[in-house]
Amino acid sequence: MTAELSAPRRWDPIVKLTHWGIVVAIILNAIVTEEGSGWHVRVGYGLAALLGLRLLWGIVGPHEARFTAFPPSPFRAIGHIREIGQGQVTHHRSHNPLGALMVYAIWACLAAIIASGIAMAGAPPSDPFAASHEEAEEHAVASPATSDDEDEDEREEEGGAGEEMMEEIHEIGVNLLYVLIALHLMGVVFETRRSGRQIVTAMLPWGNRRSR
Amino acid sequence: MNGNVTSNRMKGRDRQVTLVAAIAVVQAIAATFFVADAIGDVAADGLSTHIVIEGLIAFALFAGVALGVWQVRIMLRLAQRRDEALAIASGALAEHIGHRFSEWGLTDAESDVALFALKGCDVAEIARLRGAAAGTVRAQLSRIYAKAGVTGQAGLVSLFFEDLLG
Ligand code: HEM
Repeated sequence: MTAELSAPRRWDPIVKLTHWGIVVAIILNAIVTEEGSGWHVRVGYGLAALLGLRLLWGIVGPHEARFTAFPPSPFRAIGHIREIGQGQVTHHRSHNPLGALMVYAIWACLAAIIASGIAMAGAPPSDPFAASHEEAEEHAVASPATSDDEDEDEREEEGGAGEEMMEEIHEIGVNLLYVLIALHLMGVVFETRRSGRQIVTAMLPWGNRRSR
Repeated sequence: MNGNVTSNRMKGRDRQVTLVAAIAVVQAIAATFFVADAIGDVAADGLSTHIVIEGLIAFALFAGVALGVWQVRIMLRLAQRRDEALAIASGALAEHIGHRFSEWGLTDAESDVALFALKGCDVAEIARLRGAAAGTVRAQLSRIYAKAGVTGQAGLVSLFFEDLLG
């Protein structure tokens, strides 16, 4: 018990780099890049790569970073809430059960945003300053449909409806993500007050990971 | 007090792992862009011999990511193992020291002082650290040396050094 208490929590560099990379990408696409612009798409692809790497790390990484270290378990999350109610503090090597649910929710949300974004924009533009990528893409998407002249109209209709649905998913996903981020930050602040600053320093790039 | 050298070396090791990890991250981003671009090419122009080359490059890029990630994993595991070995060794040494102290019949206060002496503190430092008068510390030290059967601080240290060397 004491050993577990005194063992400092620390996140490995892959977790840190992907976390802060994802944070930067979200901020860029939320307020810097123009919606649907070349840079927006590029940043989105960068985000996809970071998320992909983190998910790979969840399988092959060190114990604390693996999915098995923080399974999505509502039961354990309820147990954790009960602990909070009783004022007990257990130190976890990985995410606490409540935080784990949040992490999976954020990842799922990001995956939906990325998937719908790629469905709309297609491949990353080679020239990010090109005026509108959408037009070129519409061509590429439409061409297989037009080659099939029988149900051409129907397909185009479908494509249009699909596009609209993707846009819808993208937007809802983003709004949901903002809510999750707000909850995440509240969670971090709350756990920090409950269990100490170590929670945050373990994730900071310059966090003193090995000092005891 | 416990060796800035060790903590510096650890920081250097951390930096090294971070560097390899950062390269893996950049590789992952590059690979993703490349593959997405290649898929876009295929969707636009259909299959061509060009795609064979792109496929090879994509394979190389992802192999690079996999190797980078694997390397990070190995470095982290080695660092962890060294940390553990060090913890076990220092834990064992601390236990051994405590054992000796009680063998000699040191009081709690004397044990404290003896530990500081082992760590290389002089009388003034020990007095400051314990909030005691220098005279008290000097008296405690001479009792410690007498109980241990040595004549001074160097003798005390060398006793444990001998134990370590076997
Ligand atoms: C765009 C905003 C953010 C998003 C999408 C986000 C997302 C995430 C995700 C997915 C994780 C899990 C990390 C992993 O296992 O790979 C995480 C953990 C963490 N994040 Fe964030 N984060 C954001 C902003 C922040 C900020 C601004 C802070 C600074 C206070 C922060 C502090 C933390 C901490 C301390 C953890 C570790 C939680 C734990 O100990 O269980 N995050 N975040």
